[in-house]
Amino acid sequence: MDFELTPEEKAFQKEVREFLDKECNENVIAETESMLGEGPYSKELIRKMGAGNMLAPRWPEEYGGRGMGFMAETIKVHELTYHRGPFPLDAVEIGNTILVCGTEEQKNKYLPDIAKGEIEFALGYTEPNAGSDVASIQLRAVDNGDEFILNGQKIYNTEAHFSDYHWLLTRTDPSAEKKHRGLTMLMVDLKSPGITIRPLVTSAGLRTNEVFYEDVHVPKANMVGEKNGGWAVIMSALYGGMGGGSSGASRYYFETLTKYVLEEKPEIVADNPWIPDAMADAYIKLHLIDVMGFRASSMSDLGLSTPYDGPVSHIFGNESRRDFCNVVMQILGPYGQLAEDSKWAPLNGIFLRQYMDSPRWTIVHGSSEIQRLVIATRGLGLPRK
Amino acid sequence: MDVRLSEEQEILRKAARDFLTDKCPKTLVREMETDEKGYSPQLWQEIADLGWMGLAFPEKYGGGDMSFLDLSILLEEMGRVCFPGPFFSTVILGGLPILDAGSDEQKQKYLPEIISGKAIFTLALIEASGKYDAASVKARANADGDGYVINGTKLFVPDANVADYLLCAARTDEKSGDEDGITVFIVDARSPGISHTVLKTIARDKQCEVVFKDVKVPGENILGKLNQGWSEIQKILERAAIAKCCESVGGMQAVLDMTVPYVKERVQFDVPIGVFQAIQHHCVNMLVYVESARVIAYEAAWKLSNGMPYSREAAMAKAWVSDAYQRVVALGTQSHGGVSIIEDHDMPLYFRRAKAAELVFGDARFHRKTVARKLGFKVA
Repeated sequence: MDFELTPEEKAFQKEVREFLDKECNENVIAETESMLGEGPYSKELIRKMGAGNMLAPRWPEEYGGRGMGFMAETIKVHELTYHRGPFPLDAVEIGNTILVCGTEEQKNKYLPDIAKGEIEFALGYTEPNAGSDVASIQLRAVDNGDEFILNGQKIYNTEAHFSDYHWLLTRTDPSAEKKHRGLTMLMVDLKSPGITIRPLVTSAGLRTNEVFYEDVHVPKANMVGEKNGGWAVIMSALYGGMGGGSSGASRYYFETLTKYVLEEKPEIVADNPWIPDAMADAYIKLHLIDVMGFRASSMSDLGLSTPYDGPVSHIFGNESRRDFCNVVMQILGPYGQLAEDSKWAPLNGIFLRQYMDSPRWTIVHGSSEIQRLVIATRGLGLPRK
Repeated sequence: MDVRLSEEQEILRKAARDFLTDKCPKTLVREMETDEKGYSPQLWQEIADLGWMGLAFPEKYGGGDMSFLDLSILLEEMGRVCFPGPFFSTVILGGLPILDAGSDEQKQKYLPEIISGKAIFTLALIEASGKYDAASVKARANADGDGYVINGTKLFVPDANVADYLLCAARTDEKSGDEDGITVFIVDARSPGISHTVLKTIARDKQCEVVFKDVKVPGENILGKLNQGWSEIQKILERAAIAKCCESVGGMQAVLDMTVPYVKERVQFDVPIGVFQAIQHHCVNMLVYVESARVIAYEAAWKLSNGMPYSREAAMAKAWVSDAYQRVVALGTQSHGGVSIIEDHDMPLYFRRAKAAELVFGDARFHRKTVARKLGFKVA
């Protein structure tokens, strides 16, 4: 039993940390906190990380990775979010699937560019009538010789407005007996004629999108996996080994709040004797997020991951981080409600922004309920019917 | 990072599980709850012969030369079956402190007795305040010739009814501050002036009141240094907190392991209740608690085992596991329904032990205070 990182992982952690200490500057942080998506400073940072082979450490060196494990991936995510850099990087997530399900040609074409930070991908699964029930998607792809013609709509595709490609789940066989059998995964150039991207904004001010497809032509060379075999690709993306969660940004906010109430506003703690208990509880949970996350990653690296290690780490992490935001608001009392441009806003309102965004965390990328369904049925073997 | 057990540890775990499944059925657990001694001397000798008492002690005393981490695995297995008896008291509260702070003579004298199963040890620390702090240690040990005379009343002393020796914390210098002036003595439990009363507890374990009335102890029986016993007591408490967490993880796993098969089989509304998302979520939440408890308990045990600082990890673990065990039992009980609140079901055994485990060596709030202090908060 060993809870330490390997020397190689420690070196990687140090390298990424030192890089971000220097490069993840106020301009990048401002873009992240704007929640409007990657701006020029973020893109520049991502390219620099790519040039340093830090973006996709898990990939083989030939594709611009370092041949490391899920652990390195988790380290990267933790450092990037702790420094409040651009996240998530869907291109890398999608690249993980291309690595497993793509052709040699596709791997050579996309992976090195993703690893260099040159191209961005946006996830395109959800539709207005297909959220947790992903297999119900309807965006139609009609076979037209050496291409498909696409019509339909996606929603909540958060990175679509600054990405180069859409990682798009489409329906190629509407008459398939089981709905998950008629799906095909395509990579679509988002500059293709017939695509319209319309903004949707969350209550936290986070920009996401609706994406409309009208007679969009997509070459078959852009198909990942088999025609009508899209479900296998999406399953590989969701369950093909999984890194664990990390406290990341929440740890930054925890440290900032601790310093704030201990050094700048000791009267808050003096007036509220419950605060040390709440902060200790939050600290323990953040610690657990990291240990459980590293544990899940190490089990994946050892090839021993259970179907529940990853999801357990993620629901615990998402729910604990959400709960922490609530505690932060209570600690700040009336000041918690002040937004960044308000007079009297503590630390320029950074905590409010996190709180406003927090309900999203237990919904996106598989809601807590769907993750629990997966853990119950695939992990604990509970019956479906 | 690699949280797997080593091959040797897997063998230990399997051997322990097989042995305990065979030798420690719930019938024995229940029998021991009403037994005067609270343990089976025959089983006690068997585990001594298996080398369990000596597992974490050096070979030169007859021990197995294994680590605290290895011992933690054994404790998890014991927690799994609600193992009754003075193992925890003897090894964690008696033997390891002697190994840590004892003189060569003390180690030579007591450790082989512990390892061979001849001697039962325990810790007499808590007094009427019920608190785990130095100020609450009021029992007096007055110098008297070459030795000391102890007077006072200790509470919640586990297994004092069968103990051969008590580690007793007593005040040897009234003028010093709360933490100074406390000394730990190794006291022969059969010394004149010692009497005990078994308390009736939730876990029906044998926690006792122990009264010391003019009990004479030779000066050579001081464990560690005169007046500086509190630092050793703190170490004992941190070690015990981690050990209790590992034991609790076993109990939590047992509750999950009895609940999942049950909800797959129990039919209501013509389907197994495990189909219902309400039940599925209960089971998943139990799993989250079990997994988080195990990783935080073993991280602390691993740090202790490897000579790293572990105070913070011990506090985090006991804070988390104390509550997590309660929740696992509550969700397991809720998933089972009525059957699991009937006295002869196994669930109440865990329900009662979960609460006992929470309340001993500091509960979650107590340990969150410790964590808060380490974060820089001033906490009374």
